[in-house]
Amino acid sequence: MNIAARSVLAFGKSVGAATRVFKLGGGSTLPGRIARRLYPGFVPSMVRELPLGCALVTGTNGKTTTSTLLASVLDGAGITPVHNRTGANLMAGIASALIRESDLSGKLAARIGLFEVDEAALPAAIRETSPRLVLVNNLFRDQLDRYGELDTLAGRMREGIEGMDGGATVALNADDPLVASIGDGLEQKVVYYGIQSERYASDTMQHAADSKHCTACGAPLAYEYYLFGHMGKYRCPECGRARPEPDIAAVDLEMLGMEGTRCTISYPGGSVRLRVPLPGLYNVYNVLAATAAGLALGVEPETVFAAVESFTAAFGRVERVDAGDHQLLMILAKNPAGFNEVIRTLSTQPGRKDVLLALNDNIADGRDVSWIWDADFEMFTGRLHNVTCSGIRGWDMALRVKYSELGEASLAVETDLERALDASLEKVASGGTLYVVPTYTAMLDLRAVLVGRGLVTPFWEG
Amino acid sequence: MNVRIGYLYPDLMNIYGDHGNVLTLVRRCRWRGIAVDVDELKPGDPVLPGRHDIFFMGGGQDREQVMVARDLIEVKGEAINREIEDGAAALVICGGYQLFGRFYRPFDGEELPGIGVFDAYTVAGRKRCIGNVVAKSALGGKAGLVVGFENHSGKTYLGQGCTPLGMVTVGCGNNAEDRTEGAVHLGAVGTYLHGSLLPKNPGVADFLIERALSRRGHLLPLRQLDDTIELRARQAAIARAKKTH
Repeated sequence: MNIAARSVLAFGKSVGAATRVFKLGGGSTLPGRIARRLYPGFVPSMVRELPLGCALVTGTNGKTTTSTLLASVLDGAGITPVHNRTGANLMAGIASALIRESDLSGKLAARIGLFEVDEAALPAAIRETSPRLVLVNNLFRDQLDRYGELDTLAGRMREGIEGMDGGATVALNADDPLVASIGDGLEQKVVYYGIQSERYASDTMQHAADSKHCTACGAPLAYEYYLFGHMGKYRCPECGRARPEPDIAAVDLEMLGMEGTRCTISYPGGSVRLRVPLPGLYNVYNVLAATAAGLALGVEPETVFAAVESFTAAFGRVERVDAGDHQLLMILAKNPAGFNEVIRTLSTQPGRKDVLLALNDNIADGRDVSWIWDADFEMFTGRLHNVTCSGIRGWDMALRVKYSELGEASLAVETDLERALDASLEKVASGGTLYVVPTYTAMLDLRAVLVGRGLVTPFWEG
Repeated sequence: MNVRIGYLYPDLMNIYGDHGNVLTLVRRCRWRGIAVDVDELKPGDPVLPGRHDIFFMGGGQDREQVMVARDLIEVKGEAINREIEDGAAALVICGGYQLFGRFYRPFDGEELPGIGVFDAYTVAGRKRCIGNVVAKSALGGKAGLVVGFENHSGKTYLGQGCTPLGMVTVGCGNNAEDRTEGAVHLGAVGTYLHGSLLPKNPGVADFLIERALSRRGHLLPLRQLDDTIELRARQAAIARAKKTH
């Protein structure tokens, strides 16, 4: 590594230490931001030191869970990656991870890099890290105020991927028509994964569906079934373009509510029956994604599946917290597709639930809160007991709940998150569970409250 | 009493939570004991005389918008104009608003003709207007304000044949130049505001419902609803708009 990179690295490490000492947060982006500003070639020169190269994970939903899963897979294979594990997924977050995980001479303990990358940052991340694997899990509308339109975003991602080394691998979700189309005619090796099961399918599309037209000819796609959003088994009746046959597939699904999903995963050369330890179909996709990536990186199937079965969720995505007499289950939901999956998963549990819905509109959440009107809140009908709405836009959330007419559920609004948490916990019966569904920064704030009470550890120590 | 809504191109034009607008119309009718039906009007479906009291169309991505523009010109445009002149109400948002104008002119490529409900035209702009919007408006209830979220790069200019929905105090509005936002012609309202628009702006929702009912010969004032949550959400959005600009 060169002198410029080394001196920038030393400075970056001291910035990281300072942010932690002064409790400015986890130091997960600031050191990297400064390092890249001082030396734009910082990331390329650091990743050149990684003998096994880099893998990038992107997609609207499940980036953090998928990359954390893949990190435990690699861990199990004895190649612990350098990983931006706190969800800081822009270039500054990647640079910060490289700073944190190296010593002052620039030597990385890790031999492989694993980075979750924001969809819009993918082309830049490909240029700077020359990855041997890119995985795209799904594309839903999420913060259109930041990304512009979905088609345009997919086009830019594809351009980035075309620029990769010809020997690289691209892992794509076959069930998402826009994502699958990224693989058309690529020079790189393409691996598809998907769910082959109609058991939890429906024949109508949710409002959260976004890609409903053939990417080749523009005709409306015909679906044999929908799994969630626009994910499903689709075919274009005009030009015949169809869902690619997945190389890695989940079959014989049995959803076990919050306990996860039992399924069989088939892969080239075998199949295995396992329990995905995370709730919801979306986590089946995350597991398939991590499996596809793990196998593509050369990890043995037994190692992959052992890591998957013993996995616990990435911070805040799904987190169980013991709060004295109650349990708190926090599930991040930041867009309609994610929110719908949360609703569906809660609905598979018996009994009416006490929920706290926390809606913020900071930049990291998306300033635009319109998306709550695309989530199918009506699926909650008859399933809720007490609903508390909170966050900067808690009244918007309350309005969404009002217009979905949830029957006997009682509705309260308290925009202050800490007070809302206490008020909603009070309503939960002894031994019961409070389901907390926050957007991203609301989750960070709620977590800070829980850290203050000694109920969870700060995520940068996790 | 009953009201029939014609939901234009629900599969193609439904970006940014536009569904919430139709939901709001349906609920605010039913809470008052007014029966309401929603017909989906897809490409190729004709608009029948006197059948729909309120038309709704949301925004869409570029590709969808081109498909819709073609169907409006070939199949529905003339009939929609006739219905509006005959007293039907309409709410069209963002891309739907542009297509209800006279034309949309891109940087390059062909001009996309609109159906001309509004005496307005749109040209492609270089800067994208994104953010919370507050506008003074006669349809803004007691406070005289409408609030929403805009996300568009087209710049719309109004002619003499329509009036603006409001004048922006925060945000860009139609073109970031003359402070106008949206357009109103008879019972038709066009706007760049989503969020969704109607839940937080019950005055606009009730204007559309009143128009629909009066076309059917019911001239009674609408029964007041408890809009506490609506108005608190609007207040919070206004406070947020001022803070984030």
